[in-house]
Amino acid sequence: MIAYLIRRLLQGGLVVLGVTVVTFLALHLGGDPTYLYVSERASAGDIAAARAALGFDQPLSVQYLRFLAGLLHGDLGTSLTYKTGAMGVVMGFFPATIELTLSAMLLAVGLSIPLGVLAALHRGTPLDGGIMVLALVGQSVPSFWMGIMFILFFGLGLQWLPMSGHVPVLAPLLAGDVGQAVRNLPQAALHLILPAVTIAFFSLARNSRLVRSSMLEVLEQDYVRTARAKGLRESRVVIGHALRNAWLPVVTMIGLEFGFLLGGVVVVETIFAWPGVGRMVFNAINQRDIPLVQAAVVTLSGVFVGLNLLVDLLYAWLDPRVRLA
Amino acid sequence: MNSRLAAAAALLALLSSPALAQRPDASTVVVAFGTDAQTLEPAEMNSRDTMNIADHIFGSLYEIGDDGHLSPYFADSFSENTDGTEIAFKLHPGLTCHDGSPLTAEDVAFTFDRARDPANKFTGSTPGFVLTSLGFKGTRVIDPLTVGIELNAYNPIALGLITEVKIVCKAPYTKMSRVQATQTPVGTGPYRFVEWVKSDRIVLEKQPGFTLRHAFFDRIVWRVIPEASTRAAELMAGNVDVITSVAPDQIDTVNHSANAKVQAVSGTRRMYVGVQMKPIFSTPGGIAVRKDDVRRALQYAIDVPTICEQLLRTSCQRATDLVNPPLGNPDIKPYPYDPAAAEKMLDAAGYPRGANGVRFELTLQAASGRYLNDHDVVLAIAQYLSDVGVKTNVEFMDWASVFLPLTRRHEAGPLFFLGTGGGTWNPLYDMADFADVSSVTNTPSWSDPDWFSLWPEANRKQPEVDRQKVVNRMLQVFHDKGPWLELYFQPDFYGVSNRLAWQARRDERINLVGATLK
Repeated sequence: MIAYLIRRLLQGGLVVLGVTVVTFLALHLGGDPTYLYVSERASAGDIAAARAALGFDQPLSVQYLRFLAGLLHGDLGTSLTYKTGAMGVVMGFFPATIELTLSAMLLAVGLSIPLGVLAALHRGTPLDGGIMVLALVGQSVPSFWMGIMFILFFGLGLQWLPMSGHVPVLAPLLAGDVGQAVRNLPQAALHLILPAVTIAFFSLARNSRLVRSSMLEVLEQDYVRTARAKGLRESRVVIGHALRNAWLPVVTMIGLEFGFLLGGVVVVETIFAWPGVGRMVFNAINQRDIPLVQAAVVTLSGVFVGLNLLVDLLYAWLDPRVRLA
Repeated sequence: MNSRLAAAAALLALLSSPALAQRPDASTVVVAFGTDAQTLEPAEMNSRDTMNIADHIFGSLYEIGDDGHLSPYFADSFSENTDGTEIAFKLHPGLTCHDGSPLTAEDVAFTFDRARDPANKFTGSTPGFVLTSLGFKGTRVIDPLTVGIELNAYNPIALGLITEVKIVCKAPYTKMSRVQATQTPVGTGPYRFVEWVKSDRIVLEKQPGFTLRHAFFDRIVWRVIPEASTRAAELMAGNVDVITSVAPDQIDTVNHSANAKVQAVSGTRRMYVGVQMKPIFSTPGGIAVRKDDVRRALQYAIDVPTICEQLLRTSCQRATDLVNPPLGNPDIKPYPYDPAAAEKMLDAAGYPRGANGVRFELTLQAASGRYLNDHDVVLAIAQYLSDVGVKTNVEFMDWASVFLPLTRRHEAGPLFFLGTGGGTWNPLYDMADFADVSSVTNTPSWSDPDWFSLWPEANRKQPEVDRQKVVNRMLQVFHDKGPWLELYFQPDFYGVSNRLAWQARRDERINLVGATLK
């Protein structure tokens, strides 16, 4: 087990390194970003001076080696946009995205499992049809449209919920200010509802379909029939026997989805003015803020690798037949 | 049952709590804009959005007033030496920095010298454009309230350029780290910095004791709301007071709301189709558009008023040259839309329609999403040119990685759609795009001798009335032979709350110091 963990961590390190190489080359393929960081009326001399100040006058190999040397020291350079440490900027945006992603995941998982199980247990009935129609809508409606509709209906029309912005809970908590976190909680929850539901709707739809199909497969198995033949209560059969075995593909999906959401909630973060890491990376790419993108990529790929590892460990815990070697 | 009732009551209480209503109180004004500030270090700023915030935190020696003209701010007056190589500014007495220390000539000198110091590696507009355009040589503290700005040579637009330099104080800025200077500025202007939550908001509070300007609001909150529809929804709900960049298709919705109206102003950004004059395009079209009479013919082919009415939802200020009105040549009228005249002129220039109806082909390069409805505007221009037999193919490019570097290297073309910021205070500022053949802003590589031979005369120290005569001659040259197909000054749309008395400016600046409640 320990050897497996060490091997996976080393592999993860190589993956992160590979991702930084690809990102670095991709960002530099677009040419010299200096033009974005000078006045539109700058002279050729001004541009050359800025290029030297930003370090883009050096060969690519030198720039990458500098980045690697910094990485080993935990220094990922200075954001060209914010003019401050890139890693600090990324970490500043992370808590907001985690709050949003976790809330959306909890909502999606909390609802998709019972909906998927219900649909499977009532296969072919109007209830199953209704749930599947809901799933189809959830997967078909683009999140930007749904988000704007939520804003117009619940925010502008009914004025029940805030339309944009973020009230932090995790950031004060991490800073040790528990009181502030608690005071912020009611407003934070209200600000979370619309963006979290917008994100959750898509995941809810996909996961409920996944749970349904997985459950249908398991419900046909001999051991389920045996459990019923033994006279067990249906709830015990479904939860204790069928659902436990239907979990595996769902756990894989949820684990990977969380990683995707961390960096991929850019549309929802933009619509709801949520100051998260997805929007930050999107802006950094547009602004060709190479140090900031690199810092974000290192962090996000690290999280992704970590989640993959966690999913594999969870797999072994859920299904003892799986051996980690 | 009781617990259910209690939960329902708690939910209702939460939903109806005043905290949920995010409306600003009477002492707060909230502005929503699309992109976050870059940095609050004045010597590092490049974007107008960031400078709009900084203009409330910092002051300058002179300023561009709401009327678009230069007026005294931290300096009460200025005087020039005989050859115009030193401008001495007399500071208003009693100014203080936000840390409480007095603001003196030392601080002004420190501001300029610090921004220029190569050791600081600043890349903002002040060191990277203003000081170099100024021909900045150094500073001289004449007495505690008088500072001299030394120039390499007389510069007729020096005073306007100096308005761009935000004054910082020596004491705090020599103590602060670079990160502190970018994140927690110590200002000199009417508002002091309180808080910056990145990508969310920047909060400023009125600086007690600042008497140069009377600020009505105690607090200004700059909120970052990237999505235009969300900004408009927040405005209509009464949660913000001013929003920038209202999308044209939302103007009617905002105007029909109970809480806000849209103010449309003709901005100072000059929109044009640039024509590459450098002989790097050897296609028939690339060669043809380098001829003055062909470019003139193409000016008649584009129906600019219709583009404005249909695509920008407003009647634009037409461009007649490259200078913002009313500083341009008043005798020059915009080219009318007259496709028949365009066809006749192209025939006369030696480019008749071929058997397929095409005279020659051109490529029009552009970036999408940079300017107001630019995608549709570019397609419309291409269609108008194609209608007179100049088959125009549109090539949309990524702004940052492809289009911007191409224009800066003078390699865009043969046609390219671009907008360049301008000013309201001196025609030479706008004309400086073509200050010399090799300047970066001369994106079409224009080298007309009639234009460039007049520059020494225009730059000479002389009464402004005399300078305007030279300017008018130059602008006539530009109108007749210039490398731009002149389109319009980009309209800017601001959404403004009905509770606010505030007028949007032409130059993309947002000055809230004079804003009041109605």
